[in-house]
Amino acid sequence: MNQADVSKLMSQLRIAVRPTKRNLKNPDGPEGRLLKLRKTVTALVKHERIELYYNRADEARGYAELLISNAIRHGDRHKATMELADYWLLEKQLVHKLFKVLVPRFENSNVSYTRMFKAPRDYPGMYYRKSVLELRGNPYPVLTPDNSQNRNLLHNVLLDEARKEFRREKLANLANKLAAETENATASTTATPAQAPVTETQTEQSKQAEEAPKA
Amino acid sequence: MNINVRILTKSVAQQYAFKRIVTFSTKPTQQAAAAAVPQQQEVTGPTVRKPIVPAHYRFVYPEFLPDPKVEWRNAVREKLERLDMLDRRRQIELPEFYVGSILAVTSSDPHAAGKTSRFVGICIHRERCGLRARFILRNVIDHQGIEVVYELYDPTIQKVEVLRLEKRLDDSLFYLRDALPEFSTFDENMEAEPLEEGAPVPINDIKVVLRPRPWLERWERQNLLGVANIEQYIKDKHRKSAEKVQKPWEKYDLMKQYRATIPEEEQKEIFAEVHTELHTLELQRKRNKRKRTFVKPKHLA
Amino acid sequence: MLRTVLSDLARLRLNGSVCSVTQVREKGHLNRPRLRNPYWFIRQQRSQTDDQVTGENRSFIKEVIHDTYGTPALIKGVQTYEQKQLIKTNELPVPTEPWTPAVRRCGVIARKIGQYPLWLKNGERIRTTLLQVVDNHVIKYIPPEEYKPTQRPNVHNLNRYGCALVGAESTNPAQLTKEYCGIFRDSGVMPTKNLARFIVSPQAALAPGTPLNVGHFRVGEFVDVRGKTVYHGFQGVVKRHGFKGMPASHGVTKTHRRPGNIGGGGEKGRVWPGTKLPGHMGNRWRISKGLRIWRINTKYNVMWVQGSAVPGSTNGLVYIYDTILPLRKPQAAPPMPTLYEQPEDEAPDDIWYEQVHNFKDESITYKPE
Repeated sequence: MNQADVSKLMSQLRIAVRPTKRNLKNPDGPEGRLLKLRKTVTALVKHERIELYYNRADEARGYAELLISNAIRHGDRHKATMELADYWLLEKQLVHKLFKVLVPRFENSNVSYTRMFKAPRDYPGMYYRKSVLELRGNPYPVLTPDNSQNRNLLHNVLLDEARKEFRREKLANLANKLAAETENATASTTATPAQAPVTETQTEQSKQAEEAPKA
Repeated sequence: MNINVRILTKSVAQQYAFKRIVTFSTKPTQQAAAAAVPQQQEVTGPTVRKPIVPAHYRFVYPEFLPDPKVEWRNAVREKLERLDMLDRRRQIELPEFYVGSILAVTSSDPHAAGKTSRFVGICIHRERCGLRARFILRNVIDHQGIEVVYELYDPTIQKVEVLRLEKRLDDSLFYLRDALPEFSTFDENMEAEPLEEGAPVPINDIKVVLRPRPWLERWERQNLLGVANIEQYIKDKHRKSAEKVQKPWEKYDLMKQYRATIPEEEQKEIFAEVHTELHTLELQRKRNKRKRTFVKPKHLA
Repeated sequence: MLRTVLSDLARLRLNGSVCSVTQVREKGHLNRPRLRNPYWFIRQQRSQTDDQVTGENRSFIKEVIHDTYGTPALIKGVQTYEQKQLIKTNELPVPTEPWTPAVRRCGVIARKIGQYPLWLKNGERIRTTLLQVVDNHVIKYIPPEEYKPTQRPNVHNLNRYGCALVGAESTNPAQLTKEYCGIFRDSGVMPTKNLARFIVSPQAALAPGTPLNVGHFRVGEFVDVRGKTVYHGFQGVVKRHGFKGMPASHGVTKTHRRPGNIGGGGEKGRVWPGTKLPGHMGNRWRISKGLRIWRINTKYNVMWVQGSAVPGSTNGLVYIYDTILPLRKPQAAPPMPTLYEQPEDEAPDDIWYEQVHNFKDESITYKPE
């Protein structure tokens, strides 16, 4: 591979993509691998949240994302896309779900269509990494803990105070600078040779005041 | 440059100047996503004119798209390479051509009589990207098949003329090596056959006649469209083995295709960068062509 | 009866207590070469946990970082921070001692960003590797008297060379440990992802905070590039040493890619040192020496050096030094101790070596004799 394939045009995926594929150990070779992934993609579209081994989930995720993005791109009147949907969704009623439910759901989304979480491993048992794969906007309760009530944690309280102090200092700096400027203006209008050194020091001060917020 | 960038201060503009267009987080908060959407709508509301890149650019200038292998990509390198390519294109006219077009390439050659050599032939293959882009021309001269590999951006190339702009049914025509010589014989003094402006590139659906075996490659396995008599020379065992190596599932392997292509958003970004330059070069070339056509009637008279 | 059962149980317990620890003596994994830093090295990365900081406070932390080190900016194609208060290069003293070929200058940290061909003016095609100098700043200079290397130099070289610590690619200090950030405190440089140590003559000493750019080297000169080669894992002799292997058929069984005989018997009946055998391939530090710089781009801090076999992967780190090959040392004095770039001078973006064809020039033609 040294030149990009230009015969196909695809939308950019909003997920991190591995540079190479996983073979997903299979006696039937690449065809069997795809059959495995078809089963996973079908289950994902059907149940909207599934739990499985990490490798298989990560591989299937890209296919599910591309299937949805192609469906959004071309719509249900496009023959090649319909063929794709027919291949990837083993239960045919799900083809309707893809075009009538998922496409309207994700049409205006600017984030990925699926989410993946790491799940705890079985112990003792098959010690493979596990994960949860889900479609966004599914009807189930969310999996991530709610961290919105973290305002009263000790480090947040301390940071809040620090922030306020920082703002106060900045305001004071700004006020100093303004005052110096006004003084400067008045001094320059009534400038006499005797006052010259004073104005110089003032300008220096004002310069410092200018530099302070930058630093 | 859209409007909000112009309004923002210089430091902020600098901050976002070089970022890729698409930066995704897999876990954005719902609020952030909701906040991002109306902002974008505000931006698109007033007249935002982006250079409109024609959709066919990826076929005309395929070498501007980088190698899709992720490990070898680097934004700065690709940018520098594109700048060099544009610099070279300002010096020499590198016209649009495809596999199957007939080209005449004039190049400097220290060993040739007049220090230049001209070769006419059919383009049987195009490969590689960036400054390494190259193509293979084939012709039969004195009953001897000749193939020359030219690098598109090689500064020893003085002139590239497209004598006949057309496509063939296949992506590469290596099977001409095993075809009867008349299918890759082209007259050296052939005159250019200009196409009408704006006309689509014609597809030549000629079917090539192969020589009997032995062949250089097992053509029966490659699903070629431009070969007439492949069935004539293969036996059942060939047919069976050809069937065995077919991979009908590959057209559904979306991730394989994704890894072999540059996504549309990135293509837009790349071509938006070079589009204006390429467009002015194209216009210049058209103007020069018109001048040349005006000269002709004088000669006839 | 009961007594015997009890004694059995007691014996069982006793046995159980003795054998409770199972000893694992074999290695269940590949012993691959990896970086083992000494225990006294400072840890760089802080362990990343979700600290549940509120959104406001997160932006406040960011603001403080920007306040101290400047806003994020794209400088010479590298995402970094405007470090404006850092150092004024035009105020630095000009070195008084003249350059001699024995002087060792500081090197730079670069990234290998890819390869592409260039053409010479005689039409020859050369393969070049692009190296980008990524946001380099001097962090510390240790004079020869204070510099104590782990390997004590011989008496001849004692106190001859100092050491310059150079950092590349500034990063968010919130991701680094406090101890690591302490290295940068005196220099005022923003903490960087990468650090390197260069052995430097006292004549070429650099002040902390000095930026190093690609102008440190000049077109046409030769450099040595040090990098870590691509790791291929445990490989056989065909891939590792380029052995030919044996035929696929014609009666060959089970020896298609094997090394074959590795020596005779008798007194020499052992594996001789240096015998080419299977093993770990790559992941070693290697130096390509004497590579010519064909072209320099000052806008993106990129240099084009000879060859496509610079050690390391694309986007990997390499270190660039002045060459040590005696016949390829520079004839004229290079910028000492480095080139201080002034914002006002207008240098051309691209500097080409005289033998290289500039793409802006016309096509190459040969004159008939």
